Amino acid sequence: PWVSWGQLSWLCPLPGSSAPPGKNLFLSQALFVFNSSHNDLVLRLRIFYQNRLSTVNLRELNKTHTNLVKLQAGFVGAQFWSVYVLCSAQNKDAVRLTLEQIDVVKRMCNSYEELELVTTSQGISDSRRIACLIGIEGGHSIDSSLATLRMYYDLGVRYMSLTHSCNTPWSESSSKGLHNFYPNVNGLTAFGQEVVKEMNRLGMLIDLSHTSDMTAKAALSISKAPVIFSHSSAFSICSHSRNVPDDILEQVNKGIIMVTFNADVLACGRKVVNVSTLADHFDHIKKIAGSESIGIGGDYDGVERFPEGLEDVSKYPSLIEELLRRGWNETELKGVLRENFLRVFREVENVRLKPKLNLDSSVLFQLICQNIYVMPSCMCSSLAL
Amino acid sequence: MYPLPPPFPALYAEHDIIRYGISLGSVGVSCPGCVPSQVLLHPQPNLWWSRVKSKKALTLCKHCSAITKTSLNYQCYLKGKNLFLSQALFVFNSSHNDLVLRLRIFYQNRLSTVNLRELNKTHTNLVKLQAGFVGAQFWSVYVLCSAQNKDAVRLTLEQIDVVKRMCNSYEELELVTTSQGISDSRRIACLIGIEGGHSIDSSLATLRMYYDLGVRYMSLTHSCNTPWSESSSKGLHNFYPNVNGLTAFGQEVVKEMNRLGMLIDLSHTSDMTAKAALSISKAPVIFSHSSAFSICSHSRNVPDDILEQVVSNMVQVFWLVELDVLACGRKVVNVSTLADHFDHIKKIAGSESIGIGGDYDGVERFPEGLEDVSKYPSLIEELLRRGWNETELKGVLRENFLRISTDICSSEKMPLGGMLDEQSSVLFQLICQNIYVMPSCMCSSLAL
Repeated sequence: PWVSWGQLSWLCPLPGSSAPPGKNLFLSQALFVFNSSHNDLVLRLRIFYQNRLSTVNLRELNKTHTNLVKLQAGFVGAQFWSVYVLCSAQNKDAVRLTLEQIDVVKRMCNSYEELELVTTSQGISDSRRIACLIGIEGGHSIDSSLATLRMYYDLGVRYMSLTHSCNTPWSESSSKGLHNFYPNVNGLTAFGQEVVKEMNRLGMLIDLSHTSDMTAKAALSISKAPVIFSHSSAFSICSHSRNVPDDILEQVNKGIIMVTFNADVLACGRKVVNVSTLADHFDHIKKIAGSESIGIGGDYDGVERFPEGLEDVSKYPSLIEELLRRGWNETELKGVLRENFLRVFREVENVRLKPKLNLDSSVLFQLICQNIYVMPSCMCSSLAL
Repeated sequence: MYPLPPPFPALYAEHDIIRYGISLGSVGVSCPGCVPSQVLLHPQPNLWWSRVKSKKALTLCKHCSAITKTSLNYQCYLKGKNLFLSQALFVFNSSHNDLVLRLRIFYQNRLSTVNLRELNKTHTNLVKLQAGFVGAQFWSVYVLCSAQNKDAVRLTLEQIDVVKRMCNSYEELELVTTSQGISDSRRIACLIGIEGGHSIDSSLATLRMYYDLGVRYMSLTHSCNTPWSESSSKGLHNFYPNVNGLTAFGQEVVKEMNRLGMLIDLSHTSDMTAKAALSISKAPVIFSHSSAFSICSHSRNVPDDILEQVVSNMVQVFWLVELDVLACGRKVVNVSTLADHFDHIKKIAGSESIGIGGDYDGVERFPEGLEDVSKYPSLIEELLRRGWNETELKGVLRENFLRISTDICSSEKMPLGGMLDEQSSVLFQLICQNIYVMPSCMCSSLAL
């Protein structure tokens, strides 16, 4: 019994409508502002069009998995555009290439009325168009310079993946043997820890996709803010190095794992890969980390193979159907589509705004907090840190 | 002795002084509402202070024929030798200062290890800036030419980051990015300028991102050629020796800077580059720190034929540098040498085309009497002595620069692809000039 998407899309743009009889469930409002955290269209624009937006019509582009019409058909309400430069640019011109890709995102989002560049969680909530955000894929883009990281933040970048498929001088990637950079780096070096702390201070989301398990564990232990995996899935279902093992899934309690749609990483080489395979990952992560720690990644235009039925960005709703069929309820689905990510983003923004107290002030604060205001100590600790 | 005004009732509390002026030397009359320092027991002697009802702070007494914006600001002259140009001085703009480079060289950009108020290793510190009445300062973001084609972009981002951190860390400083920001600022306004086109690594996207980060001028070259523009320095570096003036891409850079609203700085460029930029640019250009070639024929200076183009094309501002470039190796270099350049440029290009550059912390040798940023007022004294009037001096100190920044004839930021075709453009001009009665330069800039 397939839910008819034709019917649903006809009924969809009415937020708050009640569910009609039959098997149609309105998640219209949730769907309408569905967030996807990873899309490499910007890389394709460079490869195919040399970033010349005037030569391409993003609404009807058919060389890529993504175009604006398909995004609207897929009910995407917010999209992180991935700013990626090849690992081979590390120690060469990675910084300039990164600036060029950030520039393409900005020009793209300014040129189309369907898109709107935002940089805050409030911006995503308020936007009536497809909200665009910028994420950098790979720590090699900062050329080991915290100043560059800060300038990227000023330009609007709101997450950074600590590595792509190569080690940086300060963090270890999950990919082995693809590149030959810094083979002796394990996890995070001291400078890598400073990068994580600076990202907390700035309010930039830390993305642990593509990082090794040691890096992920180190980042999870240091970071004061929740972290994300912008496009990974469950190692228990498919033991690919890009996936997240259960022990790390357990640690990601306030963060979020946004599940990738990359068929190779979902199915470990099995021939038949479809929506069901993807939904298995969702179920497993829900079991280990909870349904509040899941989101939708995508990775369209970043890889070649996708599950049957999920070939491009207009097909996201088939996933929702499958999850509904497996018994996910509306609250859980709303979380997956939108609320979990917004919650994480807001918390990261809060960590930026919290004033940092030094040790003595912190102790004094705790005393006042617990004794005069009579707050529980856990609350005082979280306020003071 | 200065005549005392009627005694003021001691109703107003004395709060921190936010403005103060110095005495420079000409004759005037005392301002009726003003009180001399000794009455207020203010530490600054020989000054007059006004008490203003609606404001909490004491301001320097100024003459009541206000030329200025707020009710606080009156011009005031004292009998005797004192002339106040306090408001003009207070918001005096200097367009080039390399302190940021010194911070990198001496302190590796670690602002926590340095107290910018009292730093004495450099020509510049905050106390001296205040003593020199600097109201707005462009901080020069400079990376060495040897970084061209290597890590110039990342180094540039690091220097921009230092300026931002510096201006956020001190309450005397405030980062601004518009001319309105300079006018409105009550602190020392900080602006960012990039010194050298090699910082963009031949990428217009990088130029746009620098603009987004707050950079508001760029010198097309420093002392090396870029792949698209020629520098005035020969033989220092070996980059792109066959580039003359601006290449086709160099012209695109100039047009993009116009479109963005970034000032084009022609200091350090060759004469051919300067002429090419002047002919292409739709907006006023600046020379952030150069002086007159006729007085001292150094390659960094501007020859008279280019100075003349400044007048005929559009209003521009010259910024003068204080270094060997002023005196061509003469032994005695003092304020008078500098003032010679000012006089010459005024003669050729007009006093509305002049401003004050500086280049403190960018070079080593300065004229006697102008050793650091607190000594700017000696220049004003000299110009006064040479007969420059108040309007001209206000222009030099502040108004000329503000005018080119907000020039109604400067190109507005246009959306990509928002160009009218020729017929629409002509029609637009007719409507604009005749129905809306706007000046033709404004109509042209809107239509293009």
